[in-house]
Amino acid sequence: MSKNPTSLYGFINAKLRARIGLMRESHIIEDLLKAKSVVEAVAVLRDSAHSSVATAYDRTGDIQQMELALLYNEVEMYQEVAKFLEGKPADFVRNLLGKIEVDNLKNIIRLWYGSIIRRRPMRFRSEYLFKEKLLNEIDWTALVNATSWEEVCQTLRNTPYSEVVNAFTEQQLDDEGLFVLENKLDQQWYAQMMVSTERLSAQDKGVAQSVFLVDIDLKNLLMMVRYGWYHKMDKEKLETLFLPWGKVYKHKSVLNFVQSPVQERDPFAVIEQLYPGLNDALKQISEEKRGSIHQDELMALQNLRIEAYLHERRKAVYRKLLASDPFTIGVSLAYFFLYKEEDTMIKAILNGKYYGYEEDYIRGVLA
Amino acid sequence: MNLFTRPMRLLTAVVLEQMSDAVVKSLLEMGVMDFVHINKLEPQQMEKLSSRPSSVTRIALEDMRHRVEAILRQGQVSLPTSDVLDVKNMEKPDLDSYASLLDALGKKLLVLKEKQKESNQQVLGFDEMHRYIDEDKGEYLDLRVGEISHGTAEDLASRLATFGGILEPYPDGNKYISLTLRRDGSQVSPLLDKFGWTESSDVTAQKRAVSIVTHRLEEEHRKAAVQRKEVEGEVNDLIRAESSSLIAIWGNLRLNELSDQIRSYFSYTRNTTLFSGWVPSDQADEVTKAIFSSSEGQCVIEWTEATQMPREEVPVAVTSPKLLEPFQKMVNNYSTPEYGTVNPTIFVMIAYLVMFGLMFGDVGQGFVLLLVGFLTQLSYRKNPLKKDGMLSRNLSKLLPYLGVSSMVFGVLYGSYFGFALFPALWFNLDAVVAGNATTGPVRDVYGILGITIKFGIIVIYTGLVLNWINLFRKKAWLKMTLDKNGIVGGILFATGLYMGFGFVGSNYKEFPSDPWIPIVLGVTILLLFLRGFLDYYLSVKEGGQRESAGKVIMDSTMEWLVDMLEIFGGYLSNTLSFMRVAGLGIAHAALMESFKELSSLSSGVGAIAILVLGNALVIVLEGLSSGIQSLRLNYYEFFSRYFTGKGVAYEPVGLKTSFSAQK
Repeated sequence: MSKNPTSLYGFINAKLRARIGLMRESHIIEDLLKAKSVVEAVAVLRDSAHSSVATAYDRTGDIQQMELALLYNEVEMYQEVAKFLEGKPADFVRNLLGKIEVDNLKNIIRLWYGSIIRRRPMRFRSEYLFKEKLLNEIDWTALVNATSWEEVCQTLRNTPYSEVVNAFTEQQLDDEGLFVLENKLDQQWYAQMMVSTERLSAQDKGVAQSVFLVDIDLKNLLMMVRYGWYHKMDKEKLETLFLPWGKVYKHKSVLNFVQSPVQERDPFAVIEQLYPGLNDALKQISEEKRGSIHQDELMALQNLRIEAYLHERRKAVYRKLLASDPFTIGVSLAYFFLYKEEDTMIKAILNGKYYGYEEDYIRGVLA
Repeated sequence: MNLFTRPMRLLTAVVLEQMSDAVVKSLLEMGVMDFVHINKLEPQQMEKLSSRPSSVTRIALEDMRHRVEAILRQGQVSLPTSDVLDVKNMEKPDLDSYASLLDALGKKLLVLKEKQKESNQQVLGFDEMHRYIDEDKGEYLDLRVGEISHGTAEDLASRLATFGGILEPYPDGNKYISLTLRRDGSQVSPLLDKFGWTESSDVTAQKRAVSIVTHRLEEEHRKAAVQRKEVEGEVNDLIRAESSSLIAIWGNLRLNELSDQIRSYFSYTRNTTLFSGWVPSDQADEVTKAIFSSSEGQCVIEWTEATQMPREEVPVAVTSPKLLEPFQKMVNNYSTPEYGTVNPTIFVMIAYLVMFGLMFGDVGQGFVLLLVGFLTQLSYRKNPLKKDGMLSRNLSKLLPYLGVSSMVFGVLYGSYFGFALFPALWFNLDAVVAGNATTGPVRDVYGILGITIKFGIIVIYTGLVLNWINLFRKKAWLKMTLDKNGIVGGILFATGLYMGFGFVGSNYKEFPSDPWIPIVLGVTILLLFLRGFLDYYLSVKEGGQRESAGKVIMDSTMEWLVDMLEIFGGYLSNTLSFMRVAGLGIAHAALMESFKELSSLSSGVGAIAILVLGNALVIVLEGLSSGIQSLRLNYYEFFSRYFTGKGVAYEPVGLKTSFSAQK
């Protein structure tokens, strides 16, 4: 018999709320930003929950080993939360590890592509990859050592990724690069997650889907601007890139945008209908920067603005989750989001410090 | 040790401004003054005063100190403590030169770290190939034995190294072994062709090549790992070489931070500096002398007694001997006692240890706790940088006390790792729980429950007496007499106890019917009812606000009703709450009995293993439960009688003032 939401989520949500409280109190990101060098940034991590990252730096001096330590911590975090849940919510949380798995798979395929197609030796880089089981049984070592696309497909034959990779040939990848393949892998993960949310209780399903749909809208909007407008991708290709959920995908104006001839596409008209506030901000950037910077740079700035805007919307969704029913999967999802956000910032700051960027520059990138 | 909080005096001093530096240094060195902002002066006087911004902000000083600490920690150097601080060495901090020094050191460190990264990458490359050999995954490796006809072996070796491969001369003749990864085959094969590589058809050579190349891989791996470790050592050496100047900078920064902290409480007129702060009365003379001497007599000092100030503004200092440190921490963890009240530490120590011993009495297990406590302390002393584990520093200091308490009660219960090796001095708890006690003052579990209830009564009455002492000192006569925790409350509790014991004495048949009982109950309840009215009368007499008769009656009645509920419900539940002590003690004995039973079903090593594991489990689980329950009883049953926790902690600024190593 399944547990009631109070006994299912009571313990783990209290625990996660305490952690969220600590995260909010923590000024780790601010201290990292203020650090004058990697050595000083590492000192900030020493007494934090990321002490293993500092240990990795002491032992190797290698920034990528630090990133690997962060990844291990993240995986452990998901596994720990799943351990405190049971039944379908636990399966759902475990399925979230699928995102790390897909990203890991993409990283490996990128390395494989560099090594086999572009003939850049992989060398030690394969050792920075996560090689333990995440969600599916995947022989990561065999993938790293595949000498042809057929071997990659063969290694992934009993996994959910088999169909996606089999749809591509080595020649196709050589000609077109990895973008479409990576997009298909992402689509597959989202499809899996949407199926996974269907198995949750009605309340949890509502919460989880609200989170995913905001995420999907972000991806689709960026896809539309980047590839539909900036890269002027033709209709047939563009259509296949969209994730088939969410309000952006279903909106009539987006459909019109895709159908329009590439030269006549106007993303701002679409954004005006979907997110009027964002459109004003984009127009402001356009007016302020027009003439002073190159068109490419302007587009990059506008892209960043869209990302920041949608990130804020995601944050708002998570804040709402924390303020609503405490006995749903929402608290866990909010915690994952905040954890990931902190993790991403730590990685970005450590890299920024490693390459000697100034505090203000890093702040600008993170903003 | 003071039984009460330390008496305090408020100092207000005016010194000539040119002497203020010297005064700051002497006050910092003494570290006894808890400064207060001078904001109680007349507005006209306040207008004449001004604060002075420091030339260097405390945040800048703190940031720089954190930079020094970051470097020291990178070099595995223990962070300096207040012991290195000497006000005589304090000078104006030159932040620019400190920053230059740290930047230069940082650059050198980054060069070393880059070297370490390269060694690490080599280690990773060798790790991968070695792992494939170890795990018998030869299909990922490309091992070849052959000869080259063009170019040099050195050239080929360096080109193979770009793929992370190695070239090893084969012991016989002109052959070489090439080891690369198969995934690089499409690039390695053309490279080998360029050098005119001819593959050997000698099968024995191929087989031998594996062990030769494994040896070489191990050698290369070892070298790279050693180099990586050496760089780590170089980083530490570089920082250690600079540690004395870094520690000196740290000390100066810290002194300036503290000095700035003191100065932030100062107010200035054109020529004078004015400051104020609380000092324990017994140190007032020393402070006077220090200010007088550092200002060369150019000062005016005034002392105000704590009694002339609102009690809630007086900071509270409690002194306990080092021996009582773990229990002082328990009190601090709860709250700060009110100024002028009893310092509860010694009572907490006694109550805590007795409760723990009653629940966890066993000589052997107590000895284990004692030993674990000492060993953990030793380990922290040996590794000062070690982070607090599950057995934290604080807990490791508490464990020996718990061990001794457990051993004492173990002797009283005659329990030695659950075995009755010697006769019990009080009663055999294990035998009582097992139902086969034939001698001793306690023969059944009711007896154990009775003991703990009596113990609870002693604890509650101790709390009440301490409360009366506190209220007597505060001259809160009404609260001392007519309150649920006052004398009337105590009388009601005593009457209740008399009735309760009488009821038990009659074999749960009837309550005692002494004629004085209804009189005492009636009078005390009436007195408590009158308390609200008396309170109102006294407050109006002292100038308080007048209220309508209806409101006074309503308020007093409601307050009385709540008090009645709390007295009759609260005292009963507080007393019965001590039965948990018996419960835990019984559980402890029952668990040990179970493990002895289990052990008797086995023999030899198995039996011993069950006993050892059983004892370990009991020590961990029961030890934890008993510790938590003792703390709970102290906090809720004992403290709630007398501890208001309304005090403000005394926090003098001095060299020993704590600082955060983290930002």
